[in-house]
Amino acid sequence: MLSRIDPEVAKARMKPPKITALKQRKAWKKGISIGVMSFIALFYLFPLLWLFDTSFRPKVEIFNTPPRILQAPPWVTFKSYSLASFKLAVNRYQMNQGFLNSVLISVCGILLTLLVCSLAAYAFALLRFRGRNFLFYCILATMMLPATTMLPPLFKVIQSYGLYNKHLGLILLYAASAFGVFLLRQYYVRLPVSLIEAAIVDGASKFRIWWWIVLPLGKPALSALAIYQFRHIWNDFLVPMVLLRSRELHTLPIKLQVMDSVNVAKDYDAIIATGFVAIAIPILFFLIFQRQFMEGLSGSLKE
Amino acid sequence: MSSIALFRNRRLGSYFRFAKIEPYLFILPFFALIIAFNVYVYISGAKLAFTDAQGINPGEYIGLANFKELISDTQEFWPAIARTFYYTFGCLLTQIPAALVLAVILNSTIFGRFRGVLRASFYVPVLMNTVVAALLFRMMFLRDTGMVNWLLGVFGLPSNTNWLYESRLCIPLMIVVSFWQWTGYHMVYLLASLQSIDPVIYEVAKLDGASPLRTLLQITVPLLRPALTFVAVMSAIGGLMQFEYSFMLFPNAGFGPGKRALTGIPYIYYHAFRSDFRLGYATAAGWILFLIILIFSLIQIRFMGLGKADEIEF
Repeated sequence: MLSRIDPEVAKARMKPPKITALKQRKAWKKGISIGVMSFIALFYLFPLLWLFDTSFRPKVEIFNTPPRILQAPPWVTFKSYSLASFKLAVNRYQMNQGFLNSVLISVCGILLTLLVCSLAAYAFALLRFRGRNFLFYCILATMMLPATTMLPPLFKVIQSYGLYNKHLGLILLYAASAFGVFLLRQYYVRLPVSLIEAAIVDGASKFRIWWWIVLPLGKPALSALAIYQFRHIWNDFLVPMVLLRSRELHTLPIKLQVMDSVNVAKDYDAIIATGFVAIAIPILFFLIFQRQFMEGLSGSLKE
Repeated sequence: MSSIALFRNRRLGSYFRFAKIEPYLFILPFFALIIAFNVYVYISGAKLAFTDAQGINPGEYIGLANFKELISDTQEFWPAIARTFYYTFGCLLTQIPAALVLAVILNSTIFGRFRGVLRASFYVPVLMNTVVAALLFRMMFLRDTGMVNWLLGVFGLPSNTNWLYESRLCIPLMIVVSFWQWTGYHMVYLLASLQSIDPVIYEVAKLDGASPLRTLLQITVPLLRPALTFVAVMSAIGGLMQFEYSFMLFPNAGFGPGKRALTGIPYIYYHAFRSDFRLGYATAAGWILFLIILIFSLIQIRFMGLGKADEIEF
């Protein structure tokens, strides 16, 4: 009898205090580390929070020190919120136009990249032709040729094509993405062969196989490439600045540069509002598609 | 590749002939673009570097004069290259260790589900436009109204440094902005690699009584060496090609006081499109910079192999 109860009694007597003490210590440790790291993260993100906050504030409150948001409780300082900065950016600098240009170039650039790269990647991954490996290595080699080191000849070449000061020139330039072909090809070679074989038996042409099987199956790789291209095109600054001259063609980053090039009485409120728009879009996408953003990185693209 | 064998079984002669050229049609659009916008640009760059082209004047062949001028230019060009390296290695030496420490901290199980939130918040600056980041930090570094001087004042430190007009501070300021923006990027990559390390190794180290520092230096770092090399090389290439911080961080697009923020790519841009429009001369400078970057690209291939490149970005 006693031996049957004994272990439980022993447990009840010996362990509980120890476990709670340990648990408490662990909980403390956890609370403190989360607290400290949250504080560091908040401090780290403070410039961004400041930008978000300030873009809704009147010009006089922008350069308050301490920052206006820290001066009083939020419900007091939020009273001065308005859209005045955005209106100024739109009315004086046509920020809305810049936004539309950025959207247009990004959307067209991404779609064209996906189309062109996926066609090429499909051929390199699944078709057999003379010189395939050689041509693929050539593509890989072009990945080592950055555009910005050859800025003057790029400018001249685009000019000679008649694409200077045109959105189309930039879109075509972005679509020539060797990295895109590489990324998609690495995914396509791992596609299940059985489906493709079945399609061939059914008499599907190569083009139909690409359109009906490879494209849908390769969606994860396509979305990874789309995100990569979006970040690249949306944030690109130097090349569009060199290739677009007219005001009405400028993208958001160039609008920012134009606003900043006013030397006297710089409209910092318009700059902040435009900056807000320029970074809010990628951050919004990131919050929605966070899984896809991180996927390409952790190698899960490879399955 | 068995799928391709099946294509060949078609008996139709005309189809067979078409099938031979058909794959080339699939790669044609891409090749047309990459040749027109990448390869041809480099080819015409090879010609342009040997001319005295200026503005709309196409220029004439002048041999190696541009390169000779660059190599003997100890006033502007070599200091610009030196600054490029200063900036690049400054970024490397601050960001990689910080990213590693941050990744190791976030990798600890103590954060549980909170890890995702922390990781995301350190990653958000990566998504930012570099132009916006530069402008934002400029506003923070302004002498009278900036947040940095205010914060220093709060802690009783000297708070009237004119950060943006101090030529000694140009590159360090750019390193600071770069640190803020890109550490999270490296951290996310290192964190992903850390999570693939077998936790048993750490259990064993703990049982053997290894200190956290020793665990970091003798277990984590060696196991992460491929990831660290990769991140370092990518960061170095990014640093060598940096443009926006030089151009936008300092007021009036002047590349900092006394042009002390003028690094490699800004040097090309400045000479080709801002000051004297010497396209040939700027192209020659571009070739020198390209060769430097190429060395790093080759190191990357040597150590990593190209197969690694699909795990990067984002």
